[in-house]
Amino acid sequence: MAQGLGRPFRAFAAMGRKYGVEWWILMFGAAVIAVIVFMAMFPHTLAPFDPFSQEAGPQLANPGGPHLMGTDNLRRDVWSRIVFGSRTILGVSVLAAVISSLVGIFFGLLSGYAGGLVDRGLSLVMDAVYVFPGLILAIALAAMFGPGVINITFAVAVIYIPTYFRLVRGQTLAIKQELYVEAARAIGAGSPTILMKYIFPNVIATTVVVFTLNVADAIMIEAALTYLGLGLPPSVVDWGMDLAMGKKYLASGQWWLITFPGLMISTLALGFTMLGEGLAEILNPRLLER
Amino acid sequence: MKNLLRYIIARTLMTIPMVFILLTIIFVVLRLMPGDPVSAMLGGHAPEKVIEQKREELGLNKPITAQYVDYLWQVSHLDLGDSMVLQQKVTVAIREKLPATIELTTFGMIITLFLGVLLGAYAADKRRQAQDSAIRLYGIVIYCIPVYWMGLMLQLLFGIWLDWLPIAGRTGPRIFASDFEYTGFYLFDTLRVHDFEAFRDVLVHLVLPSLTLGLSLSGIFVRLTRANMLDVLKADYILAASARGISHATIVYRHALKNAFIPILTMMGLQVALLMAGAILTETTFSWPGMGRLLLERIYLRDYPTIQGVIIVFALIVAFISLLVDIIYAVVDPRIRY
Amino acid sequence: MRVRKWAVLLLAAGCLAFIPTGGFAAAGDTIVYGTTEKVSDMDPAKAYDFHTWEIFYNVYQGLLSYPPGRTNLVPALAESWTVSKDGKEYTFKLRKGVKFTDGTAFDAGVVKWSIDRVAALKSDPSWLVTDFVERVDVVDPLRVKFVLKNPVSYFPSLLCSPPYYPLNPKVYPKDRLVRDPSELKGGQLVGNGPYKVVAFKRDQEVVLEANPLFYGTKPLNKRIVIRYFADATTMRLALEKGEIDFAFKTLNPSDIRDLQKSKKFQVVVGQGPFIRYLCFRCEGRPFNDKVLRQAVAAAIARKPIIDKVYLGQNAPLYSMVPMGMWTHTDDFKAYPGDPNLALARKLLKSKGYSEKNKLAFELWYTPSHYGDSEVDLAAVMKGQMEATGMMKVDVKSAEWATFRDNYAGKVMTTYLLGWYPDYLDPDNYTAAFAGTEGSKGNGIFFSNPAWDRMFKQAQMETDVNKRAAIYKKVQKMWADEVPTAPIFQGNLYVIAQKGIRGILLSPTLQFNYGPISRAK
Repeated sequence: MAQGLGRPFRAFAAMGRKYGVEWWILMFGAAVIAVIVFMAMFPHTLAPFDPFSQEAGPQLANPGGPHLMGTDNLRRDVWSRIVFGSRTILGVSVLAAVISSLVGIFFGLLSGYAGGLVDRGLSLVMDAVYVFPGLILAIALAAMFGPGVINITFAVAVIYIPTYFRLVRGQTLAIKQELYVEAARAIGAGSPTILMKYIFPNVIATTVVVFTLNVADAIMIEAALTYLGLGLPPSVVDWGMDLAMGKKYLASGQWWLITFPGLMISTLALGFTMLGEGLAEILNPRLLER
Repeated sequence: MKNLLRYIIARTLMTIPMVFILLTIIFVVLRLMPGDPVSAMLGGHAPEKVIEQKREELGLNKPITAQYVDYLWQVSHLDLGDSMVLQQKVTVAIREKLPATIELTTFGMIITLFLGVLLGAYAADKRRQAQDSAIRLYGIVIYCIPVYWMGLMLQLLFGIWLDWLPIAGRTGPRIFASDFEYTGFYLFDTLRVHDFEAFRDVLVHLVLPSLTLGLSLSGIFVRLTRANMLDVLKADYILAASARGISHATIVYRHALKNAFIPILTMMGLQVALLMAGAILTETTFSWPGMGRLLLERIYLRDYPTIQGVIIVFALIVAFISLLVDIIYAVVDPRIRY
Repeated sequence: MRVRKWAVLLLAAGCLAFIPTGGFAAAGDTIVYGTTEKVSDMDPAKAYDFHTWEIFYNVYQGLLSYPPGRTNLVPALAESWTVSKDGKEYTFKLRKGVKFTDGTAFDAGVVKWSIDRVAALKSDPSWLVTDFVERVDVVDPLRVKFVLKNPVSYFPSLLCSPPYYPLNPKVYPKDRLVRDPSELKGGQLVGNGPYKVVAFKRDQEVVLEANPLFYGTKPLNKRIVIRYFADATTMRLALEKGEIDFAFKTLNPSDIRDLQKSKKFQVVVGQGPFIRYLCFRCEGRPFNDKVLRQAVAAAIARKPIIDKVYLGQNAPLYSMVPMGMWTHTDDFKAYPGDPNLALARKLLKSKGYSEKNKLAFELWYTPSHYGDSEVDLAAVMKGQMEATGMMKVDVKSAEWATFRDNYAGKVMTTYLLGWYPDYLDPDNYTAAFAGTEGSKGNGIFFSNPAWDRMFKQAQMETDVNKRAAIYKKVQKMWADEVPTAPIFQGNLYVIAQKGIRGILLSPTLQFNYGPISRAK
């Protein structure tokens, strides 16, 4: 019996020894993500109060007792808001990353494979956007779209399209030259087949790592946008917004309003970053120069 | 030499279409923003007639292509237009606020380089040991901490609890900028009039914001330096130097670091974008009167021309620095020119 | 080696930062005033915000004015006036021998020049002149006549607002608006009030010195330094460290509470004329039905709103005419109540709504124009409305520019607004929201010819008692028709060091620096 339990554990530790510290980083990241995903999926198990309830407790109560992280000036429980807030930030970031990757990969494949004027044109536009400070573009887009969860998701998604584009285009260009692709063409494989069977699978591995790091970045941008007040109505619970609202209380001692939301943002971003870094090192040690 | 010159010219020319595209993107994004700036500008009670007249005056009734051409024409003449909301030329507004941002980002960059490079070199030196892991961990963690949150925590710690440093603005309430303001770079301006108390005040106000910005970006440089140093440390000449008995510290921190430095410098160019994004968030948190805050203020006011002007300036700075960095790299490393 | 040398140098430079400077001894005659407000344009023909107007109150004079802390009109640049029989012509006899600080004489020509300039430049506040004044005639150097378009009984109080202030024609450009004093001829702001501007650095400080040429009561201090803070927390810290003598607008509510509790400072509280209210779009469903408007208004619980969002630092308001203003009543308290959930439910039921069939509508707010606690205000109000069990509120927000755009598009079903008065008269608080024209302009679209007649009559009526009766009636009708529901009235807080005297807050929002002094 003990042996049955021991086997997966020993395999686990063996991986750790094999890959060194990267493995533990990856595991730590995965663990953090798992906890917060759980928080997002089953908030009612962890949150004692309704995050909107303005009767949860006394006004601006200190952390402790029934309120793990204290209450705010509308008498809402901070911990409950943290728990429900995980849905917003996770939802927006992951969705934005998915949109980004789909669009970026599509255009990257297209551009890399088609070449010529299409490639030149797309590359120029993508380069311009890539070089531009992402946050500023996101701010302008968020201001343009107006408040709302969908709008923020799009604003964040747009910024990362060039990242995927460049990555995939580069890989496509390289693979396009490979002998086996030429061979495939010789035996009559059409373009879609080549793209699907040869280029895409090779691109996927690197893309996964970029995706994870992208989510981490998207988390930071989403929180920054809502912190700046560019994002969401009060019917949505959000860590960045709560952070901004807590700023007023800096000098009057209600430190918990600022500390906990920020801590959570950092932790979640860290989780995804560690996952990505760990994956990168393990899958391909000299992959990313960033 | 000729090769180099050709590269410089080619690279500079390439910047033009990029800038052009950026300008177009900016134009499009801004025109699509909801909210009519004219009625907001004219306050609560303006009758329809006056609003129409103002729109006419500002050229908002022309077809969009005409507005686009006007826009490009203006920008090429370095005229960024007039603010819609306040009686001010956009270039004047930017001129007022730009030095503050430059001062902040410069000091932030200095701290980033100092911290990032030294830690990175040290980590490379102690490869695979505990210090290396710790520093690499630091690199990852610091990147994930939102710059504005770090700012708030530092404000709380050093500004409120310990009360060592000020938490907002460039000068304290008893120091009057009108006494010394000349270029807008206060460290220089205060020294120019020999006002040492003001100099001290300005310096003290720079500490927390640039520390925040600098720390936030240091993670990237830690990793970069470490990676480059690892490469350099493998080189033959390092082995040779060691064989000749040169001290370890000298090898790592003088010889190796010097050689690893060039790619780091060029990397700096690419990080300008991150630096500016970080500056906006830092300026908001520390109420720093720079371009970042100007941008946000004017977004709330829907002051199109100023918003446009600020974004254009940011874009131009990025394009220019990226160009500069590429040129420096080409000058230093002959392999790059093509 | 080299690294070490640099490190030491840097450390030394860093230490320089911590050497304490000599303490700051504020000269007895200089008062330092901290604020988070901003100056807009130093041109009475353009500025339309209270802080810039506040500076004008102290640097310029109107024909009439309010004494510090009081609401009765007294002669200022004009000694007396007569009104023609039809109420359309006001002739003012001007004070003799008044000069601007550069020596330019003040006379009727200056008055006419200034009014014509405001009308010609057609900027934000110009309607305060052009809506009422037909033309200005110079009768003789010391007498000026205003010919109005219609008789307006509160015209004298209009004259106290900055667009009517006479400006120095030698210094202000006739055909252009001015932003900074540096754009004026001579580079200085030249007024004829108790102070003159001696230094102006936008967003940093404005320095005023007592004007030796002022004809009226001389200020009790020599210099006022207005120090601009970008951040309320820093202002609080500066106050606590003694770096400023007083702070006015706008400290965080939690900071005000802390400073009050600490008992180390003087807290001067005044009733401001700033009001906040909920607007209904009275055209289109559902709020074209006044019963539903009453129902929503009955759900508003003012005290919890003020406690939660503002830590108790404002006052509940039961009428659009604010407290402290002549003819104010408390009609909303009795009906629809504060709150009266039973009434709200009854009214909703009578219109066919229930727990299963909720009245669904949007509540809009604007996130930064009124300060950053709007999102909290909307959240609390949503909670209160939904507490009836029969309403479902969708909260939306839009930046100020879009918010105002939405009026014409009739986009917002209910929305939160605020109002600073242009002039001190109940007309400014009522006609603007329920008169057909004004209501349309503010997105409310309430229109009732009987009301319009009452407003018009009140505007022209010269008998004070008759006017009072009209406004009292309007307020009572307001609690029935509810085109808007008043929520609270803002309190003004000035927090000062213990030795400062003479801080007088007034419902006119006029804040005079003259009476302020430091106890020896």
